[in-house]
Amino acid sequence: MTISPEQRSAVEDLINAYALAIDDNDLESWPGFFASDCLYKIIAKENFDSGLPLGLLLCDSQGMLQDRMEAFSKLNVFGPRSWRHMLGAVHVTGSEDETITRTNFIIFETLAGKDTHILCAGEYRDIIIREDDALKFRERLCVYDTTIIPNSIVRPI
Amino acid sequence: MSETPLTWPEGNDRVPYWIYTDQENYERELEKIFYGPVWNYVGLECEIPNAGDFKRTQIGDQSIIVVRDAEGGINALVNRCAHRGVKLCEQDKGSFNEIMCPYHQWTYDLKGNLLGVPFYRGVKGNGGMPEDFSMADNGLDKLKVHVRNGGIFATMSDETPPFETYMGERILGYYDRELDGRSLKLLGHSRQRIGANWKLMLENIKDTHHASLLHVFFVTFGLFRVDNDSRVEMDDTGLHTALSSIRGKQELNDGTAQMRSFDSDLALSDPNLLDVVREFEGDQTVVMQTLWPNVILQQQSNTLATRQIVPKGPNAFELHWTFFGYEDDDEEMTTRRLRQANLMGPAGLVSLDDGQILERTQEGILAHPDEQGVVELGGRDTDDADHMVTEVALRAFYKGYRNVMGL
Repeated sequence: MTISPEQRSAVEDLINAYALAIDDNDLESWPGFFASDCLYKIIAKENFDSGLPLGLLLCDSQGMLQDRMEAFSKLNVFGPRSWRHMLGAVHVTGSEDETITRTNFIIFETLAGKDTHILCAGEYRDIIIREDDALKFRERLCVYDTTIIPNSIVRPI
Repeated sequence: MSETPLTWPEGNDRVPYWIYTDQENYERELEKIFYGPVWNYVGLECEIPNAGDFKRTQIGDQSIIVVRDAEGGINALVNRCAHRGVKLCEQDKGSFNEIMCPYHQWTYDLKGNLLGVPFYRGVKGNGGMPEDFSMADNGLDKLKVHVRNGGIFATMSDETPPFETYMGERILGYYDRELDGRSLKLLGHSRQRIGANWKLMLENIKDTHHASLLHVFFVTFGLFRVDNDSRVEMDDTGLHTALSSIRGKQELNDGTAQMRSFDSDLALSDPNLLDVVREFEGDQTVVMQTLWPNVILQQQSNTLATRQIVPKGPNAFELHWTFFGYEDDDEEMTTRRLRQANLMGPAGLVSLDDGQILERTQEGILAHPDEQGVVELGGRDTDDADHMVTEVALRAFYKGYRNVMGL
């Protein structure tokens, strides 16, 4: 099955818009990038490669995305910072109904008064579907290579 | 900093800040604590289930290989070739039949014994090792290992007391509650680096009342609150602590109510996150153990984990989390543990606060080695407490620390 240039472009727009929303700290829009039946998981490459299921962060419903968003926005305690997602080219396979993508990412984090550092590097492994006439992530696995996370991850990636 | 006299103030209720920042004190800690008469946590048996399986870990600044041999025994070996000092193993984990140094191919068995040296007899009558070279004397440095119910501990000292004596009966009781002899199921790892002194991590778990103040998530959902029925218990040295707490006592007395939710007006959008099932004897819903010197053994609801503390100089440490369940968990229980794991780790709903606050503590004290912290909550004594409105475990801890360090 082939994927039309329009679909490819729409998928890339979704992936870019997601990164932009996080970098803009617009967390309220975050759950809306996902389908009603969804999985979001940040997982260390060492777990992913070994078939170990533990996620650094796991949301397997819209409700859990919502709860996470609320916690990051209102409950957790952390200092001010900027994030910049740098995305690689999007590799697209699958079908128009179920588009499968892989996209490399690096996230630069800058804390107030400190040097910019790399928070983590890895790849998104996504399954994207159409729901309510919009593209949504049915599954977004963020597989990170970074062996040691510098302190904490205080937003979705 | 050399101007600062490294002395301890009178009494148990003050902690001088130089112990968190001083390089020489850190080096003494390595010798007297991590390389001294202690049992260092180095991993779980379920990480290396089969013969030849190994993991790499650290004790103090030293790299250690923990490996299961053909007889099923577990060995802890210093990750340094006996020949020229090359770091033998670079992978975090894997499997091998023997350990070979890539530089000159000295080869060791999984117990660390030297098996082979190339050109041992020389080549065409030239060279080779001297007649009196002893293979037996040139193996890898071996640590003494103790395994209890799936937890692996190692020591570099001949003077370390037996493990049971070292932990004491009371702490062992809590240890055996979580690691009860059932086979463990490894769920995965996460690792983070926190720019704070390693002792601040132990303090964070021993300091019971911060959870009610810092961790809004805990408070909001009643998982761990200062009004919960709680106990703070120490061993005789004060170095090990077991902190236990009971959530929602009335609900717990209802024997049928094994699955509990929370106040409806504070409800999560998806209550599955806190779909907690009672699985241990006794009423405690949280038991956090700090086992001297380098591990936290935790049960918070249905999340079970070890947090290994790896010091990185006075101003940083790594925290290596290993999450696990039991081999006999059904799929539902595994899913529950994986969901609740959201509470913990480098993006934990609760523990990300700790990573942030510990770094801020280090930043706050860094330029003030001659100042001191106040630990007077709950009095100035070092006795067990039946509540958590106290810093008693910190006072007991530093009493023990001073003994170990000769301060």
